[in-house]
Amino acid sequence: MLHVDRLTKSLPDGRVLLNGISFTVSRGEFVGILGASGAGKSLTLRCILGLTKADAGSARLVEPDGRSFELTSCTGRNQREARRRMGVIFQGFNLVKRLRVLDNVMIGRLAQIHPLRSWLYGFTDAEAEEAVQALRQVKMETYADRVTGSLSGGEMQRVAIARAIFQRPSLFLADEPIAALDPSNSLAIMKLLQPLSRTTPVLGVFHQPEMTARFCTRVIAIKRGAVVYDGAPGLSHAELEEIYGDELMQVLRPTPPAAPPAGSEPGPAVGLLLPNHPS
Amino acid sequence: MLVTEFHHLVRLAGEMLPPNVALLWRKPGLFETIGTTLAMTFLGTVTGCLLAFVLALVAARNTTLHPALRSATRLLFGLERATPNFVVLLVLFISFGYGPFAAMIALAIGSIGMFGKLFADAIEEVEAGPCEAVELVGAGRWQVIRYAVMPQVLPVVVGRSFYAFDVNLRAAIALGVYGGGGVGFELQLAMKVLRYADAFALILLIILLITGMERVSDAVRRRLLPQGVLK
Repeated sequence: MLHVDRLTKSLPDGRVLLNGISFTVSRGEFVGILGASGAGKSLTLRCILGLTKADAGSARLVEPDGRSFELTSCTGRNQREARRRMGVIFQGFNLVKRLRVLDNVMIGRLAQIHPLRSWLYGFTDAEAEEAVQALRQVKMETYADRVTGSLSGGEMQRVAIARAIFQRPSLFLADEPIAALDPSNSLAIMKLLQPLSRTTPVLGVFHQPEMTARFCTRVIAIKRGAVVYDGAPGLSHAELEEIYGDELMQVLRPTPPAAPPAGSEPGPAVGLLLPNHPS
Repeated sequence: MLVTEFHHLVRLAGEMLPPNVALLWRKPGLFETIGTTLAMTFLGTVTGCLLAFVLALVAARNTTLHPALRSATRLLFGLERATPNFVVLLVLFISFGYGPFAAMIALAIGSIGMFGKLFADAIEEVEAGPCEAVELVGAGRWQVIRYAVMPQVLPVVVGRSFYAFDVNLRAAIALGVYGGGGVGFELQLAMKVLRYADAFALILLIILLITGMERVSDAVRRRLLPQGVLK
């Protein structure tokens, strides 16, 4: 379970970025955070991960066994312990491109093996087998030996999800996981995240209200650093307008009408004339 | 000067020609000296580049232990680059005596300034995203280096190390002349006893050796560097 309690963050010049964000993510939930750009969605995630220091407030991760981690204030070994319990999925995938797909998945469990072992010989066959299982879960097991850099964006995001699965976290955090993907890949990724949330809660930042309405169990909306909506995923047009303001039209139609593929375009007039040209 | 002394040059050329190529197979132990030169180059390069890489981790902004250590290491690289190789060798002669071992150490030290800086710059250019991702699974600093930094930077480090070998081979011959042993020392000996035809043969041998080794290191590097081979 994740408890976020009155998170506050301002810039040195006094501009308030987070103004008392509070929410809770419990077992079985797939929570989507919506909000206009600059509202503080990703910053909230960064504070939870300890990448940005919050000025005040707390974020607490409570394990099923009762152990709890104070995410905003822990450092060093404690922070690493807390981080290994959160599987993070990024907008830019953040895979090591020169490594094999399987190696990237196994990185998920680095914090759970002895540092010396991770330097000397890495992972055991049993762990590798388990990593292949994680890849199977995202339907990428046939890619295990490929060099990661040769994969497409949608494939890379699947591998990144496998890495998070292999980490065996008690919470998944996704920072705009589908923002860099085309609609069909976005749909596929959402379809992967949804079943994960049945056993491990998922908290994700999204830009597509139609996606969160379809897949999430709950939606939190953030506007100017404050939670303005926390409830059922299906938001009305009026509510979305309230959240996004002027940005609404871009959000509802995130992709411009698809351009015809190159080659099918009619060429310039001179090109059409060429076949009949005397020379 | 060139005009008045020109006849010396002509005479020298006359004494050098034809090169005493027979020396190459007549002289006992000549190939051992080639072996010595190659060995001190190889060991000097390997030791130097390993040390350079370790120090580069300290000198790179994203992997350093402390900003002050970073500046200190960068300064060390700068000072080292400003020190000529043979000056290092002259100092080393005092502690290790004349011979290839001192030259090997001098080559190793000579590689640190130049290649430490190149490696550190390469480490700083590594993609930050993957490093952050590895950090966020809870990995420690050394694991981030091993699993995110090294895979990204190793092709550069290995490529530059091969270049270091080429550079060091030339330096090894020069250091040999100063008393570091190997082919350079033989050349210096031949010049000193005025056997210019022998010296010319040795010069030809050195040119062959350098171009040959450049070819070899190029071929090995090409074998080694395709994606996914180094991790």
